[in-house]
Parts: sequence; structure tokens; C-alpha cells
Amino acid sequence: MTATISLPLTRRDAAVRVARRRAALHWVAVHSLAVAAALFFVLPFVFVFLTSVMTDRQAITADLWPHTWQWDNFVKVWQTDGFLTWWRNTLLYAGLGTVLTVLSSLPVAYALAKFRFRGRNLALMAVISMMMLPPQVIIIPMYLFWAKQLHLTGTLWPLIIPMAFGDAFSIFLLRQFLLTVPKEYIEAARIDGCSEFRTLLKVVVPMAKPAIAAVALFQFFYCWNDYFGPQIYASDNQGAWTLSYGLASFKASHHTNWNLTMAATLLVMAPVIVLFFFAQKAFIEGVTLTGVKG
Amino acid sequence: MHSARRPSRLLAAVTGSAVLALLATACTGTNSAGGQDDSAAGKDVTITFWHGWSQDSETKAIEENVAAFQKAHPNIHVKIVPKIEDEKSEQALRAGGEDAPDVVSSFTTDNVGKFCSAKVWADLNPFLKKDGIDPAKTFPAPMLKYSQFQGNQCSLPLLGDAYGLYYNKTAFAAAGITAPPKTFSEFEAAAAKLTVAEGEGFKQLGFMPAYHGYESSIAHLLGQYGPSYFDGEGKSTVATDPKVGALMEWQKSLVGKLGGFEKLEKYRTGFGDEFSAKNPFHTGQVAMAMDGEWRTAALDEEKLPFEWATAPFPVPDDQAATYGRGYQTGTIIGIARGSQKQTAAWELVKYLTTNTDAVVSFANAIHNVPSTFEALNSPKLTNDPNFRTFIEIAKNPNSSTTPASLNGGAYQVSLQNLGFDYESGKQTDLKAGLAATAKEIDAAVNQAK
Amino acid sequence: MALVGTPVPAALKRKRRREALRTLAFLSPWLIGFAVFFAYPLLSTAYFSFMRYDGFSAPTFRGLQNWSYVFTDYPSFWQGLRNTLWLVVVMVALRVAFGLGIGLLITKVKTGAGVFRTLFYLPYLAPPVAATIAFAFLLNPGTGPVNALLGDLGLPTPGWFTDPDWSKPALTMLAMWGIGDLMVIFMAALLDVPKEQYEAAELDGAGPVQKFRFVTIPNISPIVLFAVVTGVIQTMQYYTQAIVAGKVASGVIGGSGQQFEPGYPNGSTWTLPQMVYNLGFQRADYGSACVVALILFVISMAFTSLLLRRKSGLLASED
Repeated sequence: MTATISLPLTRRDAAVRVARRRAALHWVAVHSLAVAAALFFVLPFVFVFLTSVMTDRQAITADLWPHTWQWDNFVKVWQTDGFLTWWRNTLLYAGLGTVLTVLSSLPVAYALAKFRFRGRNLALMAVISMMMLPPQVIIIPMYLFWAKQLHLTGTLWPLIIPMAFGDAFSIFLLRQFLLTVPKEYIEAARIDGCSEFRTLLKVVVPMAKPAIAAVALFQFFYCWNDYFGPQIYASDNQGAWTLSYGLASFKASHHTNWNLTMAATLLVMAPVIVLFFFAQKAFIEGVTLTGVKG
Repeated sequence: MHSARRPSRLLAAVTGSAVLALLATACTGTNSAGGQDDSAAGKDVTITFWHGWSQDSETKAIEENVAAFQKAHPNIHVKIVPKIEDEKSEQALRAGGEDAPDVVSSFTTDNVGKFCSAKVWADLNPFLKKDGIDPAKTFPAPMLKYSQFQGNQCSLPLLGDAYGLYYNKTAFAAAGITAPPKTFSEFEAAAAKLTVAEGEGFKQLGFMPAYHGYESSIAHLLGQYGPSYFDGEGKSTVATDPKVGALMEWQKSLVGKLGGFEKLEKYRTGFGDEFSAKNPFHTGQVAMAMDGEWRTAALDEEKLPFEWATAPFPVPDDQAATYGRGYQTGTIIGIARGSQKQTAAWELVKYLTTNTDAVVSFANAIHNVPSTFEALNSPKLTNDPNFRTFIEIAKNPNSSTTPASLNGGAYQVSLQNLGFDYESGKQTDLKAGLAATAKEIDAAVNQAK
Repeated sequence: MALVGTPVPAALKRKRRREALRTLAFLSPWLIGFAVFFAYPLLSTAYFSFMRYDGFSAPTFRGLQNWSYVFTDYPSFWQGLRNTLWLVVVMVALRVAFGLGIGLLITKVKTGAGVFRTLFYLPYLAPPVAATIAFAFLLNPGTGPVNALLGDLGLPTPGWFTDPDWSKPALTMLAMWGIGDLMVIFMAALLDVPKEQYEAAELDGAGPVQKFRFVTIPNISPIVLFAVVTGVIQTMQYYTQAIVAGKVASGVIGGSGQQFEPGYPNGSTWTLPQMVYNLGFQRADYGSACVVALILFVISMAFTSLLLRRKSGLLASED
């Protein structure tokens, strides 16, 4: 009995072994590729960090490992004229901007996703067009509007106020998500006599929490990273600079102290990355939402 | 869905009227012309002064000067805002409003034409007349030239910059050169002697002739020729003035003699930042450099392993008699045309630009060239011979500057672009290139009219 | 109007009217936003493109002069357009290919997938100004660590941001570093491909390449199209990285009376959006700036219309 089946068994063994070896090779190939890619993505951060703790003399040499660890570079950057102001301004811009965007975009997205009305498609097309519009296209009249009509340049208001009037990208993203909310829930609420606003608040918002979180994060990052807006509207008043704008001028005013510049760079990157670790899931879901299923 | 028409009409009406309302209010009125204040009567006035200096030593020096001014004028208070780039102050002045500065300074004399002609900065002639100051007797001619445009003296010079030659004495001795070169042919010979090859690159280069070699830009080099740039009618002369073509050909031949563009470019991109200890002259990567007088301060601060000195930059062989000249530019200061406190603003401008003690101490503090005759001849001015070189260049009657133009420095950018194309060989027909550049400059000036 | 044709019961009319008002109320923030921050400035941009205006003296009509100036007498326009097109073609293509590759890789990783995914995603979050400054330092030809490493390995050491031939490739590398968004989108799309199709293909004897070609590609092609079109539109707006890289790499900073050279080196990073800024805010020629802005608008909208086609699925709704 053993003899009769031993042969096919060994053959099967061999096949399994070949398959296993192939799988192992495949595993090694895939993972070495992944490690190589990871190096490409991570090494820049490592170099930036290493440089940020060097002396300014060493920062302009090819030596990659700090001779001495100058942790007080971070303290120095923190104490730079204006750095705290930039932080405060960025937080104000990103915080207020995010809240206003969510508040103003949600009802619009809800209407576009769930109401039937004439011109809905047209409105949606308009939203997408706004979303795709390069900000530079309309910057001249917008600048003149804020500078000459309202005299608000040199403050952050030209950046914040528009967010109270719906942000096209957020509207679009929320609308894509709200499409997936089953009609039945909304109709049930309506039958219970809820007003549309109450329905939105009590039924839709709880279901749309992940999408709202994603939109809020995107908007927060957008404001945090924005360079063009502050450059146009806030740059002529240093009291209104944001981190992104201040950072770009940091090197110029520090006469190329690369170590301090890198420390400042890290300090600007850090909050975004910390936030990401707390909200990774919402973020990745949000990115997926922007893509459309064919 | 018949009834749905109503909202869509309503929608259109709302949108439409909103747009119309906005278009109607989109007037773009001119800014008011500014006015006087009561500081002359002893009333307290606070003015805002924006400047572009950013280094600690510089901002401290300007603060000390302003403090001295406030001591002399106890009723005028000055709020100083440092580190302002030109485009920011220009933007603020164009936007107007209460936060706009009263007194502004700029490093970019190229912009004077723009500031004067657009009436962004106020004409200072009435103020000068009122106080009996004769600008021609107060300020050196090139400095006066770059601070005005078509008779409108909308700014005054506040210290100047002059460009000369920095040379590595140690390297000179090693190469057997005894004196700094005075003509272009001497200069070429020195540059070749000082060049030490290493592998495919250089151990030491005599001079970096590329227009990107930090201060060896085309406008600065052209200072050794003294070209006209514009004719009486304001048309570009780059194609008709042989000096421009001559410089470009000379530069290109020098590029060829020192190893060719590619090799030099490879070497140049390895340079450290201009304003750092890795500046190629500091590191010994180049043995000669064209640079401004402020470099003396940076070089003094460091313990360098070699000796260095300064001299006027050489001149073309056929203009040997003009040796001692150089390119000049500087910082300018003026009053916002929209300022409501022009009396007090003028007092500050007058003090900073014409008070000899103020000018001299500021010049000594930040290693810049003083901008009045009196200050240039002041005994209090630093005696450092390396710095003195630049004072002599500034006093030299053959020194020249880039003239103001309606659209700022755009004409230099156009010429510079041609320079890049020509040195790299992308443009081989210099004549055609210069003609096209002249056309481009004229069109851009016309566009600004 | 609603009154024409069969009479509508009054109650129904009231209900419809209420619904219309409700819709309007919900849309109102955006309607105002659309009018004030889109329609009005667009019309105004068109208006200013025919005017001479410097932001100071009152605008005056100058017909087509701005247009002819930009097209015939302003060589930088064509250079900027060429650079923008270069970036649109090369940067978008490489980003999509690389994003797809990384997305594919991450779906195959068995061990530590979560860690790899996070690491691959992180650079996307780096603020553009910070990332650009970091790259300008890393790729600094004289003193940066990348060329130090390349030199040690005996490899060529390009001038990166200081060499006109290498500045756009360096920007492209920076863009590929921040591939996180595309990676996630492609990853989701790849995981959505029905397993049965792969199994069926395997039964037909298809190898990995054939499976990719005949199963994966057809399934994810709408996402690829989406990535390409949005990539093109983003690249049309490419501004911050180009301007910051030029500023930092030029090594020339304020104080010497020299103006910053836009598009350093030799205009090789000079793009259309920077041109709007330069013409408008640095040269105070708002008219010509508006001409360039309109050109930018037309090109962007041409690509947006691709997204608005029914096939793209963006306009899909539940009813």
C-alpha cells in the first residue's frame, strides 16, 4: 500500500516543493522591491533629520552622520522671529477654514446627491469645473477685489472667508459619498415628519462621518500646505504669514544655514504627519473616494 | 417637472444680479495723492518704515540710525518693519490702505522707473527744493541717475554698492603673478595661469566667467564697458551699441579658454551658496571673483587659509584709460505717494540719506559704500584698504549703472536670457540674438506705457 | 411655465414651490461662492485681458494689444508653455506609471503590508514647500548628500536644480516621491478586480504578463484615465514646487540688488501659473497676466471636459 501511493506522493511533494520555492522566491523578490521603494520614500526624511541636528558648518559638507547632535537647533528655530506667529496663523487658517468648509459644503453636497431638481447636472458640472480651475486663472480680479474693494490684504481673511461659501472639492467628495447612503433612510425620516435640515443633521451626518472626516482632513492639509494664497494675500504683512510661506523665506533670511532650515522644515512637516497617524483610516478612505468606479 | 423652472429662473436671477452687482462695484479707482501732517508744528506723528535688510547686523544698524533720528525729532515716531522684499512693498503700495508704509526702501534700483512713472513713490524734488538741497552737489552722479526717472526724483540713494575684483593673493604668488590685472588681456592671462586642472574638473579655477557665476552677471560685467542700454527716445540699444556684443563675445571666448561651457558649468553647479562660507571664493575654488564691497565683511569674519585683496575690475584693452571704473548700484529710499504723513516721512528720508554722520556710520556698520560726497570724503569712514577700493570705484567718473526703465529690470532679464543662450551655444548668431532681444525689450517697454 | 397645460392642484403647486425653495436654501452657500469666486472673476479676467492696468492708475482699453504682446513679443510665454507641456507629458506619465507600480507592489506584499503602505504614503503628506526645500538640499550638487553618495559609487553627479537640463527631471522626482495619492487609488482599484477573472485567465494558461494585460488593465482603465486627467489638470497648476526650487537653488538671495531670476536656471522651471504671478504681481501688467490666465483656463477646461463625459462616471447619480 505504501509502495503504491508513495510514488504519486513524492511527485506531489516535489510539485509542492517547487511551488513553495517559487512562492518563497516571489516573496523575496516582492519584499526586496518593497524595501528598495521604502528607502526611496524614507531616506529623504532621514537625511533631513540628520542635517537638522548638525552644526551649520557640517551641514554643508558631504558627511552624512552628525559629529555632534545639536538638538538646540530646534529651539533656535522655534525662537526665530515670527515662527510662533506663523504657527498661530496657520492654525487659524487651517482650523477656521476647515470648519467653514465642512459647514458650507455639506448641505450643498446633500442637495446635489439627494434632491431632484432641474439643472442638477449642470450644477454638478459647475462644481467639477470649479474644482479643476487653476487658482491662478482668477487671481488678478480676486486680488483686486480683496485689496481694492475690501482692503483686507495683509490679513488671512481673503483666504478664510471664501470657505464659508462651499469648497468645490469638498462638495464633490461629500456628494460622491452621500450617493451611497440608501434612500430608504432618508425617506423614513421624511415620513416621520423631519424637516430636510433635521434629516441631514440626524440621519445623514451620522452615516457620513467617515466622509466628513476625510473632507475635513483634506481641507486642513490644503490650508496647511497652501503657499500661493498666503503669497498673494498675506505676504505684505509679516504678522499674517503662514508656516508654508514663512518657511520659503526662511533660508533667505538665515543666509543659508541649512541645518536650521532643515529643522524648520521638519517642524512644518511634523504636525501633518502626526495628524496622519491619528486619522490614517479616514484619510485613505477619502483618497479612494476621489477615484471613481468605472 | 414644469414647476422646476421657477427655481432655475430664480437661480439664474440671483446669480446674475450678484455678478452684476460685483461688476458694478469693480471700479478700480486710483489711490489718493497723499498729504502732509502736522509734525512740523511739533505734533506727535508715527510713520512706518519698510526696509529689506535681513541680517542681524544690518537690522541693528538701521535701528541705531533711526534711534538717532528720533532723538533729533522727538515728536516723530518710526515703526520699522524689516526684511521686506520689493514685490511685497510694491504690492502693499499699489493696494494702498492704512497699513501701507510711509517710507520704503528697495535694493532693486531697476524698479525706480516703475515706481516713479506709476507714481507709486512720491516725487522728492519739491521737498529737496524746499529744504535747499541741491542733489547734484550732494550725491554722486551714477547714484543720482539710478534714483530718478525722466526727471522725477522719486527716490534718493541710501548707501551704494560698487563691484570690483577680489583676488586670492596666495594663489597669485603661487602662479607668479605680482599685480592684479588691469586689462582684459592681462586678466585672461592671469585666469589661465591660476587655473589648475584636476581629473575632469578643476582644483582651482582662475575665474568663473559664466553669467550664473553669482555676481558675474551680464549687467555687472557690462559696467566695465559702460553701455547705454537706451537711446534718447527710450528704444533699446543692445543691438546697436557695439559694447554689448563685444562683452558677450569676450565672455564667450574666455569661457572657451578656461575649458569650455560644459566643463565650467559642471564646476559651477558644485558651488556652495553665494552668501555662505561655501562661496567659491572663500573655499578657494576660484582665485578671482567679481563681487560687491559687502564681501569684504564676510571675508574678514572668517579665518581663511589664504590672503586676499581687492582691486578695480579690469577693463577692455581698448578702454584701458578707464581703469578704475565699475558697476554701481545701491539701495534707494523714498516716500509712498499715498502717505498722509509726508512731512514726517521726508524728515526721516532726509536724515538717512543726507546726514553725513548717519550715512557714514551706517556704511561702516554694514560695509556698504556711502552715498553722498561728504560721506565719501569723511575721515570717519573706515580705512580698510580692501574696502577703500570700492569707495574709489564709486567716486570714479567712468563708473556706470543700469538705467531705470518704465518696466523695471525686465530689459536686463531679456538680455540675461540671451546671455545664457549664447554662452551655452544654444544661440550661435549673436547679431540676430541681439536684434531679437532689442525687439523684445522695446515691446515690453511699450507694453508698460 | 408651470401654469401652461393641465392645471396643477394648488396643494401640489405649494409643495413643489416649497421643495424648490428648500433646494435653493441648501445650495445657497455654493451659489454665492460660484458667483463671487468663479463667475465674476472669470468675466473680470476676460475684461482685464483687453485693458491696460497697473493696479494704480485707472484701467484703459487697449484692444488686442495684450494678446498680441503675449503671443508675438514675449518669448518667455512660449518657453513657459513648453515647460508646462513637458511637465504635463513626462511628469504625469511617470507619476501614473510609478503610482500603478507601487500600488501593484503593495497589493503583493504579504509581510508588513501596513508598514510599507504607511511609509510609501507619508511623503505625499509633506507640505510642498517643505518637501521642495528638502529636495533642494538633498540634490544640492556641491554639498548635498545625494551627489555625495552618487560620487562615492562612481556615478555621474548631475547639477539637478541648478542645471537647465536636469531641473525638470529633479522636479519630476520630487513629484514621484509624493506618489501616495495615486498609490492608494490604484491599490483600491486593483483590489476591486474580480478574482474569478484571474482564475479564469489562469485556466486558459495565461502568465502574469498576460493576466496584467488582459485582466488588470481593462478593469482599472477608468481609474488610469481618471489619474491621467486629474494629473494633467494638477500639472497645469504646477506652481509652488517650481518657484520654491528655483528660489532656493539659485543660491542668490536678496541684498545684492539682483532680481530673482524666475524659472531658474535659464527659465527651465518657468511655468504658466508662475507667468501669471510674474506678469501681474511683479511686472504690474495685469492685462497680459489675464491673457495668460485665460489661456491656462482654456487648456484646463479642455481636459476637465474629458472628465465631464458620461463615460468617466463622475456625473453618475443614483436616479
